[in-house]
Amino acid sequence: MLELYHWEPNGASARVLISLEEKQLPYTSRYVDVLAFEQLRAEFLALSETGELPVLVREGAVFTEASLICEYLEEAFPGIELMPRDPRGRWQVRVWQKLVDEGFAASVSELAWHAHGARALAAYGADELAARIERIPSKERRDVWKTAAAGIGAEQLARARSRIESAVARIETDLAPGGWLAGSSYSLADIAVFSYFNYLPALCADLVSTGRTPHAVAWLRAVASRPAVRAALARGRARDPFALAAPGPEQIRWG
Amino acid sequence: MAVELYYFQPLGTNSGRVFLTLLEKGVAFTERELKGAEFEHLKPEYLAVNPRGQIPALVHDGRVFTEGTAICEYIDEAFEGPALRPLDPAERFSMRRWCRFIDSDVGRCLMMIHWNRIVPAFVGARSRGEVEAIIARVPDADRRRAWRSAYLRETPPEELAESQRRIAAASRRIESALSRSPWIAGSRYSLADIDLLNFYAFIARWSPEVVNASATPRTLDWIGRMEERPAVREMRARTRMPRPQS
Repeated sequence: MLELYHWEPNGASARVLISLEEKQLPYTSRYVDVLAFEQLRAEFLALSETGELPVLVREGAVFTEASLICEYLEEAFPGIELMPRDPRGRWQVRVWQKLVDEGFAASVSELAWHAHGARALAAYGADELAARIERIPSKERRDVWKTAAAGIGAEQLARARSRIESAVARIETDLAPGGWLAGSSYSLADIAVFSYFNYLPALCADLVSTGRTPHAVAWLRAVASRPAVRAALARGRARDPFALAAPGPEQIRWG
Repeated sequence: MAVELYYFQPLGTNSGRVFLTLLEKGVAFTERELKGAEFEHLKPEYLAVNPRGQIPALVHDGRVFTEGTAICEYIDEAFEGPALRPLDPAERFSMRRWCRFIDSDVGRCLMMIHWNRIVPAFVGARSRGEVEAIIARVPDADRRRAWRSAYLRETPPEELAESQRRIAAASRRIESALSRSPWIAGSRYSLADIDLLNFYAFIARWSPEVVNASATPRTLDWIGRMEERPAVREMRARTRMPRPQS
């Protein structure tokens, strides 16, 4: 039996939800309201000491970190394949996952938080918010939340935008018309990138548009229209999960 | 079926782990050492192989592979030889989690501290203008920022202190894991051990306050067992200090 603890279907939670839906694996959805700090409940911290989502549980075994969960699902449930069979293609998927995990996810999350996050925490007084953040067990995650609560500064935002711009250029160049990111088939690479890229038409309309990035926009539509992706994006409580954001992964500290 | 590896001496971190993975797998390859001190990885000849200017790069039958962790998994998949990853998916997940922790989390902290120690001397007698010109040629913005921060000694002390804190926490976690199993990710030797040797084992020499016989006996035992492996011995035999600048 598979249980997935997740927040809204954006970012890391979307990656695993989409993978489960694409592979048609039955699972129990366990929604954790991150902006209400439900990830700090004892029973959840027992599974994930950093309180990060998503977390997959299978017969008591715990799996964390979206890239690693997705590769686990690929190997544990061979049916519908989300990775190429050839080693070169698999290498390409892993390189894309690395791009997402090291910089792209953090940068998109910072911009998304800047746009949507302050509103999300508006219900908390400063003291109450500080008290909640102090309960986060991991110092790294506390620091990310403190930065988020204080508001992401202009320099950090500029750096995030610059990283996003580089990633968008790379994606646009690598995507042949009608193509996928790694090899000739849809894969975990598309799922990983989509789960953050889907924020960009609204957040960075000057970087991502039909005129400027035609391949990427067509690819985005192709992914978004997949039945499994639609099913995954309906697994939250928000009408549009990409109109919401939570503090994302830590940004790269040393290049 | 030609295999070439573009890499830096002395062998360690990213170059070391791909080199060792090739040796452990038993893959014959041609060494293409680049002289880091002469920034050969930023010269047009190499940028034609890897436009991102990063080291190492594996070339297999004319196709270029980059990004250390992904290269190592490719080697294990593409070539015949001993399995360097567990077959069980859950154990393989555990290995990957360790690989990620070692090279992304711990590795970056160690690189921050190490670069801040050595870069000012590494750039030698070059003028500020010369160094800035070299840094400007690094294709990756994060890497450029790290270079400049180390060279100009601008890394905030609190960042260095945070990296030290994380390394100390990691050392406890690593010691605890090696108290439970002979290899870092479990009962079998894997890519995670290869990563740990190349990203962390030298800390026994540099930071004896972190890795030592009383605090981390199991880690030292593991280092000893690693150094006895034929592939590791071969890597050590083929490790050399960079040739002097011409």
